[in-house]
Amino acid sequence: MFSASGARRDPVTKSQTRSRVNQRVLPARTVDSDEAPVPHQGQTSALSRIEDLFESIVDALDSGEELVIPYQNSRTPQNEQKGASSQQSREPFDVIRFPGRTIQEAKRFEAMFRILEMSHQALLSGNIITKRNIYYQNPGLFKSQSFVDVMVDNLASTLGIGREDLNIVAAAKGLISGPINITLRDGSTHCCDAPGDSGMLLPSASLIQRIDFRGVRWVLVVEKEATFRTLAASRYCVASQAGHGVLITAKGFPDLATRRFLSFLQRARPNLALHALVDFDPHGVAIMRTYKYGSKRLGHEENATSSRLRWLGILSDDVLPNGSADSNASSHDSQGHSQETESQDSATYSLDGSQNSFERRIKRARVEVTRGPSDSVLPLTLGDRKKAVDVIKEIVNVEEPGDDEMGQIRELQRMLMLNVKAEIQAVDNFGDLAGWLDEKLIGAGRGQGVSRGWFLLPTDEL
Amino acid sequence: MALAAPTMRMASSASLHPRLVNPFSTSRIQFRMQNVALPLFPSLTLAVPVGLQLGLPPLGSILEDIWESVLKAVPKKKTSHMKKRHRQMAGKALKDVTSLCKCPACGEIKRMHYLCPNCAATHPAEIFSLAPTPTAVLSASGSSSLVVHDTTQATFPLQQTIPNAHKLGCHHICTARGGLGNIAASVGFGGEIKVWSIPKSEDGGSSNKEWSLQWELAPTKTGGGDVWAVALSADEGYLACTTSDGRIHVWDIQAQEKIQTYETGARGSGSFAMAVDLSRDGRLTASGHESGGVYVFNNDAGRMVYSLSGLSKPVRTVAFSPGCKRLAAAGNAGVIAVYDMEHGEHVGNLTAPSSRPAWITSLDWNDTGEYLLTASLDGKVKVWDAGRSVCVATHSETDTALWSARWLPKTERALGPGMGKSELFCAAGASRSITFYREATGS
Repeated sequence: MFSASGARRDPVTKSQTRSRVNQRVLPARTVDSDEAPVPHQGQTSALSRIEDLFESIVDALDSGEELVIPYQNSRTPQNEQKGASSQQSREPFDVIRFPGRTIQEAKRFEAMFRILEMSHQALLSGNIITKRNIYYQNPGLFKSQSFVDVMVDNLASTLGIGREDLNIVAAAKGLISGPINITLRDGSTHCCDAPGDSGMLLPSASLIQRIDFRGVRWVLVVEKEATFRTLAASRYCVASQAGHGVLITAKGFPDLATRRFLSFLQRARPNLALHALVDFDPHGVAIMRTYKYGSKRLGHEENATSSRLRWLGILSDDVLPNGSADSNASSHDSQGHSQETESQDSATYSLDGSQNSFERRIKRARVEVTRGPSDSVLPLTLGDRKKAVDVIKEIVNVEEPGDDEMGQIRELQRMLMLNVKAEIQAVDNFGDLAGWLDEKLIGAGRGQGVSRGWFLLPTDEL
Repeated sequence: MALAAPTMRMASSASLHPRLVNPFSTSRIQFRMQNVALPLFPSLTLAVPVGLQLGLPPLGSILEDIWESVLKAVPKKKTSHMKKRHRQMAGKALKDVTSLCKCPACGEIKRMHYLCPNCAATHPAEIFSLAPTPTAVLSASGSSSLVVHDTTQATFPLQQTIPNAHKLGCHHICTARGGLGNIAASVGFGGEIKVWSIPKSEDGGSSNKEWSLQWELAPTKTGGGDVWAVALSADEGYLACTTSDGRIHVWDIQAQEKIQTYETGARGSGSFAMAVDLSRDGRLTASGHESGGVYVFNNDAGRMVYSLSGLSKPVRTVAFSPGCKRLAAAGNAGVIAVYDMEHGEHVGNLTAPSSRPAWITSLDWNDTGEYLLTASLDGKVKVWDAGRSVCVATHSETDTALWSARWLPKTERALGPGMGKSELFCAAGASRSITFYREATGS
């Protein structure tokens, strides 16, 4: 039937094929979708392992022995390397016994047993439970949410599987906005291109059946929700000069679900450009690194890293007071001067370079004059400096620092040398990031050059 | 589209004309009707663009992406051949660089009197600090090794590389100004201080020039706060270091013990001390702080003598003049404040006429105290006449940040044929190479 209709409408199909050929020249314009790989084998093994555990406990009950659940503290591997000789009491494989030596141990056993039970139930029924839900099932037993979080992560690492394989997830935190459609396993399709600034809550990566990338060229991971909302409200994902794109945020340090989603995007679309937009401070670098390389504590989680993530900004060059800002600033200075109140005599104002920056910011806010880049930087606190040194240490301890890592060290060292940090907003005037982002994203696309096709000749005279 | 619409209007009015004209006979009415005709048939003029657009989508989807890059790539104004030729004939074209020579170390062609970029790039990260001795210049960078270049030869050959000096990179290195140049101190990003020395050989000869580690001060033993800047006294006996909580510690290098701690704020809560210097007579210590404060301490009395104001932005560098009569301080304000050390007065500012001067990262007096040398984040090295308070030379070989600029101590003999006994200075920064400059007046 298809061939018959094709034969009848021959001219039409020809033109269609031609247009399709045209479209193929520009890969980013093609519309297609990707089937998500399904991680099923992990869940069955989780089920069997939990049942093995239950069996051994039942056996122990029968024979009247002590009840034992193996329990590995996933924070220990670092301690292990450091203090293997000094601390012998810490074993890599710990166990929780019942009745234990202390009342705490008995409580921990009960809590662990409860989590195992709930996970088992969830695996059997195919439902997914959140960590928050576990806590509320028995708040008196668990005492705090963080206790549950640690227990669940340690359980996952003890069983050697990911947390999601236990059908336990954290409540969704990440937001997404952009012209893509996500189809979940239950058949519902969500368009992430909702108007307004709110974005859509990221679904769990394991629930996604397919994603319809409609000509999306880039993904921008934003550190802060406020920046995300600003960009989403201004419809940057479709208005960008760099083509359509997707915005993602995890509101600060990324949770596992967001990292998994990003990793999923990377695997589904190897050509998609992934960018990170974080603050110019040690925490920003750490957040970017968590997306890229994963976190130390959750090292046992698989598919939670996105090695192709590129650090878009903010880098030291974006915030440093350089020569190009000079003319800009001087014009604003004169403008500010004309609108200034008479209490400021011109002599004081000409010495503005040495004025208190706080006072100056207030002044500028009142007359609504653009802030120069050097006004929006802040000094590092002692905590920031410590964090920066820690991050450098972490990078140096990697076996072979590549170019990306050298760049990160460089930025951190500059941060320390200058003793400054800057928020994402430091690059923009009047809260408008779009211009700066356009420039960066197009520049990044040119740098990659792979996905951009034939028209990208070296155009240095920009 | 903008072009298409008017032409279509013309066509439509022309085609309508005969039809409208027919019922009337006089030409006057014709004209009137012609004028009115256009507003009467707006639907036609509107319809035309729509028809054109129908043909566009396949074309548009291809061109859309091209325009985006092409429009940006096109030079905004072409320089004509004539214009270019005029400039060339007027002697304003780019000059050929003819002062080239072969690098004695690697054999590559390099610019004369410049460090070979291949060899100088032994620093894989940007250079944060330079420290000259009478015979060599030590450089510290974001990489783990320290590098020593010989300054007694005109080619500035590489003398020594100290590997794994500071694992996280090194941000400050110093030698004694006016000293013998046998001791150097460096501080790493991890917060450790290392003191390096050239072991004295028995015959006192200069055959052995190898630097070796004399003393390491672990970050935990530095006495609270992260160590930042360092300075050595002229007799190479004392080391002053600042901390991030605003303290200044003075250590005795031989005895390896702390002999003095100056507080600049409430205990452990002072402003970050970004710079320190010891006067050559050993009497005074000065520190520059994040808050813009500059404090001077008397080492004999062990207390603060002057608290100097004048800069309200972070002070990144302080330096005593060789005669110990003056103290210069500079930083984010972009001006150099000069203070008198007899009475603790602010005697003047050295400023460049710029609305927003770049942050000054490094400051140094030459051995005679006549000139000041500054390096700034915009890549400019400036030489200032301290007596006249003016900038006498500006060098902008690079537009990347410069972190350090230092005069080389004046030596007795000329560096090379035709070079004279002129003053030399060196500068380094994000470009990862060290640039040497010499006085151009010659003698």
